Amino acid sequence: MALRDVSVLFRTPWIIITRGLAFVIQVFVFAYFISTLIHIPGLNFWEYYSIGSVVTTIASISFVIGYDIFEEAEEGLLDYLLTLPVSRRQFIIGRALGGAIRAIIYTIPMFTVIVIFWGFNQPLSIASALLSMFLLAFGVTGMAITLAVSVRTANRFDVVIALLELAVSRASIALYPLQRLPDYVKGIAPFSPVSLASWNAWSSLAFSAPDLLNIAALGAFVAVFLGLGAAFYFRRLEGGIYA
Amino acid sequence: MSTITFERTGKRFGDLDAVKDFSITIKDEEILGLLGPNGAGKTTLMLMMGTVYRPTSGTITVNGFDVVKQPNEVRRLIGIAFQDPRVDGILSGFDVLNWHLKMTTTFDKDERRRRVEDVLKALDLWESRKKRTWLMSGGMKKKVEDAKILVQRPNIAVFDEPTAFLDVPSRLLVWKMIRQLRDEGSTVIVATNMMDEAERLSERVAIVNKGKLVASETPEQLKGTVKGGEVLELTLNDGSEFRPDMLTKFPEVRDVKKQDNKILVFLNSGTLLLPKIVDTLSTQGFKIESVRLKEVSLEDVFLTYTGQRLE
Repeated sequence: MALRDVSVLFRTPWIIITRGLAFVIQVFVFAYFISTLIHIPGLNFWEYYSIGSVVTTIASISFVIGYDIFEEAEEGLLDYLLTLPVSRRQFIIGRALGGAIRAIIYTIPMFTVIVIFWGFNQPLSIASALLSMFLLAFGVTGMAITLAVSVRTANRFDVVIALLELAVSRASIALYPLQRLPDYVKGIAPFSPVSLASWNAWSSLAFSAPDLLNIAALGAFVAVFLGLGAAFYFRRLEGGIYA
Repeated sequence: MSTITFERTGKRFGDLDAVKDFSITIKDEEILGLLGPNGAGKTTLMLMMGTVYRPTSGTITVNGFDVVKQPNEVRRLIGIAFQDPRVDGILSGFDVLNWHLKMTTTFDKDERRRRVEDVLKALDLWESRKKRTWLMSGGMKKKVEDAKILVQRPNIAVFDEPTAFLDVPSRLLVWKMIRQLRDEGSTVIVATNMMDEAERLSERVAIVNKGKLVASETPEQLKGTVKGGEVLELTLNDGSEFRPDMLTKFPEVRDVKKQDNKILVFLNSGTLLLPKIVDTLSTQGFKIESVRLKEVSLEDVFLTYTGQRLE
């Protein structure tokens, strides 16, 4: 089931190429330009922004699984998938995992570009950054699935998921440091899962100092939304016990 | 062995009883036709049996496995071909079937390919096996949907309107393949609102209306329940001496009407009774110019049980 979701990514290679190009332009044109305007002592803003861009991209891609499941439910494909000999537990974890792996595969080339460009070469730091990105992707897919099965109309779903994506990704410290954020964002930004992941990725890569507390918080984020996703899923589908 | 038992099964969506107090036992290796108009509850019955919907009352067991308590065991036994094709539009017909087999069987790559190739060739889809399903016509897509179950060959094969959107040759082909599936050991359930499909394909027909089971017998038995449903039309050279009581003495004859030289006999078991009637009239000196027997159709049966026409 997870492989099915991963394979979806490779059916539309042009999306990877265009999004990849957009990322390159954002980091090497836009970020370079504004980094010449922003000076924060002890912070290489261009480097900070580059890492944050990868993290926000992975969050954004992880939301796509929500659209997939909503469409499948609308088109009736979900009924078919639910008749396959796969337990509901495997089904929900498989879908979330598939969405997360897909997001990771999608962003790996961008991550590689950043790692090479900035010369990050500590394997443990790279692994720590990837772990936080994977946990973020896994949690966001759970969140997107929860939303896909709890919102009933297509228009409402589009609006809600867009707002949620905006809140999670933009109201975070992924692209701009906390001290430069407006006051109305400062209060919530530290709690965004994107903030947790980007902070750990940045501190791991730039300072070889993984933030274990952040990783634990991301683990909790995954558990909560995977559980919520599963609960809503079964309630919505009425499809038997949580086997 | 794949006996399916619905025991006072019900499914409620809000205030609507989609299925109510539905009880039936489907025997091993039989082809059961579920006949009913759109909205009768046929698809809901199938989705409950396929563990997609949970019954709100009663039970459903498949080979002794309860669909609510042991859904995983049930899913391993059943394959459902849906009314509207449920295929991933971006995949080709070949990939749809290959993926379906990958998910439902333990066949290796070669066996999967062999089965998919056999069925696609039989359904005349092999040439377009690489075409993405969203580019296919409604009929082709429907054949791919049916093919999922034909390649899988599950213990219990469920087809929801298997020949909707198909042309006549394709319909005959699909029916033949469904019968083959049963011959190879599958129990087959076919939901349909087409009389000829139910009649030609099913060994037993269950009539479903407004979520309830109305009748369940072989097509012949069901036809026999329509009293006087067959019409024997006789034309005599001279009917002036004919009296209805000459024929109403037969218990199978329900009514006799005379229109000049034409005699209309409303009866059951017309094929068996016809020689006796001809003999009786000949003995009385009547010369019969023509004989025509209109048999009871499943449509008549449906009308009798539900008070409405299907098609």
